[in-house]
Amino acid sequence: MGNLKLTSVTKSFGALTVLHDIDLTIDNGKFVVFVGPSGCGKSTLLRIIAGLEDISAGGIEIGGRDVVQLSPAERKIAMVFQSYALYPHMSVRKNLAFGLENLKFKRSEIDTRIAEAARMLAIEPYLERKPRQLSGGQRQRVAIGRAIVRNPDIFLFDEPLSNLDAALRVQTRAEITRLHRQLRTTMIYVTHDQVEAMTMADEIVVLNGGRIEQVGTPLELFDNPRNLFVAGFLGSPRMNMLKGKVTAVGEAAAVIDVGYGVPLKARIDPAAAKVGQAVLVGIRPAHFAIGDSEGLPFVVQYHESLGTETYVYGTLEGRDEQIIVHQAGHFAPERGALLRIMPLPGRVHVFDPDSGLALPRTIEQRSAAHEHA
Amino acid sequence: MSTPKATDLGGRALDFVMGIVEAPINGFERLMGRKRMPYLFLAPNLILFGIFTFLPIAIAVGYAFTGGTGLFVSERPFVGFDNFRQLLQCEDYFRPGSCRESLFWTAVWNTLWFVGFNVTATLLVALVTALILNRAMAARGFFRAMFFYPVLLSPVVIGLIWKWFLDRNGLLNAFLQMLGVPPEIFLLEVGWSRFFVVVVSVWFHMGFYTLILLAGLQAIPKDLYEAAAIDAASPRRTLLRITLPLLGPNLLVVLILLMIRSVQIFDEAWVLTNGGGPGTANSFIVQYIYQMAFGSDLRLFGLASAASVLMGLVLLALTLIQLRLGRKMES
Ligand SMILES: Nc1ncnc2c1ncn2[C@@H]1O[C@H](COP(=O)(O)OP(=O)(O)OP(=O)(O)O)[C@@H](O)[C@H]1O
Ligand SMILES: [Mg+2]
Repeated sequence: MGNLKLTSVTKSFGALTVLHDIDLTIDNGKFVVFVGPSGCGKSTLLRIIAGLEDISAGGIEIGGRDVVQLSPAERKIAMVFQSYALYPHMSVRKNLAFGLENLKFKRSEIDTRIAEAARMLAIEPYLERKPRQLSGGQRQRVAIGRAIVRNPDIFLFDEPLSNLDAALRVQTRAEITRLHRQLRTTMIYVTHDQVEAMTMADEIVVLNGGRIEQVGTPLELFDNPRNLFVAGFLGSPRMNMLKGKVTAVGEAAAVIDVGYGVPLKARIDPAAAKVGQAVLVGIRPAHFAIGDSEGLPFVVQYHESLGTETYVYGTLEGRDEQIIVHQAGHFAPERGALLRIMPLPGRVHVFDPDSGLALPRTIEQRSAAHEHA
Repeated sequence: MSTPKATDLGGRALDFVMGIVEAPINGFERLMGRKRMPYLFLAPNLILFGIFTFLPIAIAVGYAFTGGTGLFVSERPFVGFDNFRQLLQCEDYFRPGSCRESLFWTAVWNTLWFVGFNVTATLLVALVTALILNRAMAARGFFRAMFFYPVLLSPVVIGLIWKWFLDRNGLLNAFLQMLGVPPEIFLLEVGWSRFFVVVVSVWFHMGFYTLILLAGLQAIPKDLYEAAAIDAASPRRTLLRITLPLLGPNLLVVLILLMIRSVQIFDEAWVLTNGGGPGTANSFIVQYIYQMAFGSDLRLFGLASAASVLMGLVLLALTLIQLRLGRKMES
């Protein structure tokens, strides 16, 4: 069974602690993505699960079995490396067979499994070739094939698409997702690409500086980021941030003043906010309505038109922080034009600037956000 | 890498040098034409190579067809293939005593045996040492230096050190006596002396081959071993199926270099065995060549040259095999 439980996993390299007290539970059959900036410890965490790296403290269970003392081979995992790590002197067939031969599988069983994996990944024509005679995408499939034939409880992927070009990446992304649907095996996938994270994951684990920032479905993280880091990391272009002050706290919503005499309503838990409290207000580029008379004064600097959508870059009148506004369709405001932008109701995120944590929202707010998405 | 300041300094130094050499180089270029310029740059090396390597080869080949004891070509009569005939005339090549040049054939057989044992032993020892040094271990740098250190010594020094060590009153016998084992005159006993010639040669040269193999081991990507660990490969299977195949090109280079250098065995063995003793037990081909030409006033330059040419042909064949295999590995 491919469920995984990490308890207080800590990892240090000498004096440098790169993972702090990681607690994480992954259910069988889930597609889980570890995402985070470079150097945050994603690969290290994955390698710890694989057994390629010892832990300094904590516990690891796979399928309810304590695996801390077990070798990678005994953990019933398979890993796809960023570099593919195919054995260069062996044919594709030998690459796939190697693990099974080591486990003393019968020849006939090995052949059946290779044939099945090769069909699934469409690598049958290359079985007798050496890895260097394959393209990057083909090598990638072979690496996945080598994992599949092992029939593991958990698949581990470390940035498997980062060596592919953009088109191939999108295609392979879809294939891995399809594979997951077909196999229904737990997959843990490391990336620093948030689009991969958002599109592939059942569940995303956001890591930063060796700590878990938040765990949740892609939409949960997108709609209810727990803190400034998650809010800024997921979503592209990134969330806009405005300084503000709480001016009134009501049962359903608090009122926040960000200047320009435009009060913003945010549905935050009244117990969590105090009048006069300084806050940071986060609004995603797509969550503004552009009006004529009402809203924050927005001075256009330039815009990027992508055909079906437009990003307008500018600042609030008299301020320096860049604000990005998304508009569907074609939209070409002139440089220097003054627009009025109004955050969509229910789409305002409020953070405590000191702790970086989001102020808890009222319950209605959460479900409303979900329906909206 | 370097600070901007250092780069700037390097740049200025380069400018300075270029400023000096630019005018003469331009002059040469006008004189000789652009196409011939590369040869100008190659000339110094080619001249040295010609005088100290190519010319002696040509002279030796020439001398192989002459006789007498004169040193200069003008004093040497042309004898055709006589020298080669003398070397190769034999009833049974397996019995050197039945050959006209029995010393030569003794040396050939001694050399072949030596090559066989020395190549096998050095290859194994260097491989095992490289495999051990390739692991993350304490004081790796120290051990690497220790194994490489003999390579830096002169063969004569090596021969002398081991001679003292193996002498009747040497260290080894002193040690054996402490253990109550009767002393042995190692260098005067055929079996022991041959054994120690190989031991000394292994000790002398293994550092060099260890270094080549170590470089090869370190070029094997670490993630292949991680993939093998996940693939449940035992240490033995990892060695046989991953490490050795990927080390193949380096092993081949080491094998051929070792064979070439083993055929050329001379200096340290000569010093160690007092000139190939006991008897002719450790007399090798290069020693034969040396003795015919320069030893005890024989001055048989023709015969020595002919033997050199024969050995040269064998080495040439080995080198060509190495080049062929090397190219095949690359593709
Ligand atoms: N073997 C090691 N020895 C010392 N420090 C290490 C070692 N491996 C990783 N680290 C450190 O641990 C931290 C986390 O590294 P890790 O490779 O897990 O990052 P990552 O999140 O995978 O980054 P990336 O997205 O760039 O791959 C980094 O600061 C790195 O320098
Ligand atoms: Mg990484």
